Amino acid sequence: MSETTRAEATGPTAGATGVDAAETDSAAPDGQGGMPAVHPRRDRRRWLLWGALVVVLFLVPIYLPGQYLIVSTWVMTGAVGAMGLTMLIGQAGQLSLAHSFFLLVGGVSYTVLSSDGTDGFVGLGLPTALSLVLAVAISAAVGAAFAPVSGRLTGIYLGVASLSLVFLGWWLARVLPSIAGSTSSGRYADDLNLFGFDFGEKSPTLAILGVPIGQNERLFWLYAALTLIAYFVARGAVDGRVGRAWRAVRDNEAAATVMGVSVVRQKSVAFAVSSAYAGLAGVMVVWWYDGLLKPDEAVDSGTYSTAVAIAYLAMVVIGGLGSLGGAIVGAAVVFGTPLIIPLLSQGDSSAVLSSGGTAFSPVVITYLAYGALIVLIVLFEPGGLAALGRRLTARLKRS
Amino acid sequence: MPDTTAHPTPGAPPADVPAGAREIPTLAVEDVTVRFGGIVALDAVSFSVAPRSIHALIGPNGAGKSTCFNAVTGIYRPTSGRVTLGDAVLTDTPPHQVARLGVGRAFQNLALVAGSSVLDNVMLGRYSLTSGGFLSYGLRLPRTMRAERRHEERAAEICDFLGIGAHLHRPAGVLSYGDQKRVDIARALAVEPTVLLLDEPAAGMNASETAELAHLIRDISTGLSISILLVEHDMGLVMGIADRVTVLDFGRLIADDTPAVVQKDPAVIRAYLGSVEEESA
Repeated sequence: MSETTRAEATGPTAGATGVDAAETDSAAPDGQGGMPAVHPRRDRRRWLLWGALVVVLFLVPIYLPGQYLIVSTWVMTGAVGAMGLTMLIGQAGQLSLAHSFFLLVGGVSYTVLSSDGTDGFVGLGLPTALSLVLAVAISAAVGAAFAPVSGRLTGIYLGVASLSLVFLGWWLARVLPSIAGSTSSGRYADDLNLFGFDFGEKSPTLAILGVPIGQNERLFWLYAALTLIAYFVARGAVDGRVGRAWRAVRDNEAAATVMGVSVVRQKSVAFAVSSAYAGLAGVMVVWWYDGLLKPDEAVDSGTYSTAVAIAYLAMVVIGGLGSLGGAIVGAAVVFGTPLIIPLLSQGDSSAVLSSGGTAFSPVVITYLAYGALIVLIVLFEPGGLAALGRRLTARLKRS
Repeated sequence: MPDTTAHPTPGAPPADVPAGAREIPTLAVEDVTVRFGGIVALDAVSFSVAPRSIHALIGPNGAGKSTCFNAVTGIYRPTSGRVTLGDAVLTDTPPHQVARLGVGRAFQNLALVAGSSVLDNVMLGRYSLTSGGFLSYGLRLPRTMRAERRHEERAAEICDFLGIGAHLHRPAGVLSYGDQKRVDIARALAVEPTVLLLDEPAAGMNASETAELAHLIRDISTGLSISILLVEHDMGLVMGIADRVTVLDFGRLIADDTPAVVQKDPAVIRAYLGSVEEESA
């Protein structure tokens, strides 16, 4: 599997829209023995890093208290969704404000496929793992079905057109309670069950080092695995033929066409991929809420609302458009801070909405923080935190 | 098979075809008219690019040179007439499939992805020669990754040939203007074209860079033995390297001959220096 490692060579540069001289080694390796050095040999180190990361992620739930795990898993739903959006906006250059709609599509699809049709709800009772895969596929198909619009519009026009999908989803969920559940009580989806291992286990018998491995711990492992897989797949595609086509479409459609890229097709592929990622994130959202799928009462606030669509946009801008790693950091900023601030200050994430007597509740503080971050980033570092990170590592390497 | 020339076999055709034996078809522009609303940008223009020749397309600003290029590569659909490459009719081909027929094009205004590495930019030229979508790259299917490496090696070879082999992993946007032009040409060559279209390659270059470029174009022509069609303003460059020159003025073809003959053509002189009658009047 040593073929996978080209990512490091072009990875950091591939995602950036801007030009950053500092990010490359000044001494590019030249040909040895006549053959050009296309692949710098960093294979071993990279696999060691991946291995170390997996071990750390495996140990985290054993040492971290449950409340922090809940914050982490919420951040990871954001990370998976944001990776999809950053590919669409940052790599393929298409603005979308419909990400929360595709979260809803994923969540509803999974719930309908996995749960059995009791209590007047529509349900197919398929195995949960199969339902997960199908829910992602359905989200991708719905995203691809948007192609007649996404292929014709660009920029802010596409953004506004895609926003209408959020309204459509909100309305459909309200008029179809047998599918999406009612706005007051919702409906429940099944936990993921892999070979008898229930990821929603409430009364665990399994314990590691004296720590009972319950729902929080299991979901952390599951979400960490899904996030790693989502990253791994996206990395390969972005560094490969698809990513090259997207960047060409983004920067110059005529040049892309002349090089053999079907612009209309690649725009629709980008939308489908982004929607698939949002769909996966949507399923993760449902699990995170203990399997509860509940449509929003208002279109501008709630789990699948315009506010969430904009939160995702904030993540990818803060992280750096087109950067997969940046999307993860952006998710931590936008989804993590409102939950972590009360945990750190009061030791209890239920204080999310209470302000303790001041106007500055954690939610308000977070909005202020990421509002300020966006302004600062757009002004001083349009490449986002990703570009900042690359500059820092380049400086560290030099010193 | 790879021969033993000093150069790393400049753009040798795919290894299964002996170098030089690849059939190079004639590019023929037949009676092409392009209209934008009421404006006739190209008016019944016909000329053909002989296999393995260097053919220049010149004319004053707004003469229709770029329009002609865009008609050949399918960016514009001609109102009438057609463009053929051998048996293939380019004007009936969807624009994104023209590359597959063996047409490579370098752009006037550096249409590179500035933040991506040189190798990544050049690899875009391999797009129609490769396959594999989101999942086969995402999952790193062994077959896909093997093909990717093979094509990367070829892309690196082409970069070496163009003298940018040392910059493979640098972002294209940080290179000098001249080197970026080379990346653009490398990308066009990565298509493995039978005809290479160069849109004002010397634009923005100083005299010594232009001289180097002339060298390079000749190297490409002899090394790869493909046809080259270039649009150019720089007369020195054109007259020095072109086998044949086609002159456009206001969308019409006014001359089509060898450089020596075209240089003396009164219609051409008039187009470039203004009307002779006016001066004598």
